[in-house]
Amino acid sequence: MTVGSQVKQTLATLKGVQGTLRTYSLQSQKEEEKAAYNEALKTTNNIIKDLEDRLKVLEYEEPQFKGY
Amino acid sequence: MKEWIEILLRSFGLFFLTFLFIRVMGKKHLAKLTAFQFVNYTVIGIIAALISVKVVNSVRLGVVALVVWILLPVVFEFLAIKSKVIHDFIYGRETVLIKKGKVMEENLKLAKLTGEELIRELRSKNAFSLADVEFAVLETTGEINVTLKSNKQPVTPYDLESKVAPKAEPQTIILDGNILHDSLNNLGLNEGWLKTQLKGMGVDLTNVYIGQVDSSGDLYVDLFDDMIQMPQPSVKEMLYASLEKSQSDFTKYALETQDEKAKKMYAKHAEELENLMKKLQSYLLH
Repeated sequence: MTVGSQVKQTLATLKGVQGTLRTYSLQSQKEEEKAAYNEALKTTNNIIKDLEDRLKVLEYEEPQFKGY
Repeated sequence: MKEWIEILLRSFGLFFLTFLFIRVMGKKHLAKLTAFQFVNYTVIGIIAALISVKVVNSVRLGVVALVVWILLPVVFEFLAIKSKVIHDFIYGRETVLIKKGKVMEENLKLAKLTGEELIRELRSKNAFSLADVEFAVLETTGEINVTLKSNKQPVTPYDLESKVAPKAEPQTIILDGNILHDSLNNLGLNEGWLKTQLKGMGVDLTNVYIGQVDSSGDLYVDLFDDMIQMPQPSVKEMLYASLEKSQSDFTKYALETQDEKAKKMYAKHAEELENLMKKLQSYLLH
């Protein structure tokens, strides 16, 4: 597996995490819990953005694997 | 009038009269009555019974006695709420039996308790050894309450300095296969949400005996058919596992990559994810 596809996998996992976090941030009854999930959402958002930027660089370096 | 009809009428009348009066006297648990309140209730019961079976011939006289025994406690209770002095006069005060681990013999004598009785009561509060007891008090209801020495008390999360997620009480939203719309609406959820959840679990609404939603919005169901094994909601554990996986991925990439800038970025995010896991641990793992 190339580095690019590994990073893509991690990106997919993180996006899944984000989806679940968003569900919990909406359906939690306690304000404290909601806040914790919302903060986690913000953190993962930043990480995903950086990871996507890195992926662009990787795809540029390994153009033959682009799209996989 | 035939005798049996009279007794029937008296009984009916008194049944509803005492029922009403007892409701007026408030809701106190029978086991938590003071000695006097117990006598009071007994007298009311006996008077009602005596009138009802015509031992007391005149209904009017009987009801007068009944009203006195019902009204006085209500008046006293009202006064007791208003004044601490009257409260102590009516209900008495609690007696300290053990203080700083030492038995107060005089108070024991005043309360007419023997040593055996004290020890028995302590045992019923799970304090088998007198050495473990810091403080014990005889309540006005005759119950003995006990505080254990601080090093013998059960461990709480506070003692362990561990953070626990705040939890509200779960709401029951399905009972006997019927949706309880009121509690569902209280949670800000609707039938569509419930249908989706049940579909995800692969069960039909008519097969659910009890369904509860906890404070983080997870649904737990108990089915009529006990042969079917329901999976416990484990979305949170999975979420934590995913976070753990991503965190280890980032650490790996940080080690592998040649690019200095990317190395820094990976390392930073690995640390952020680790902090995030620590924060969410109390919510996700339980």
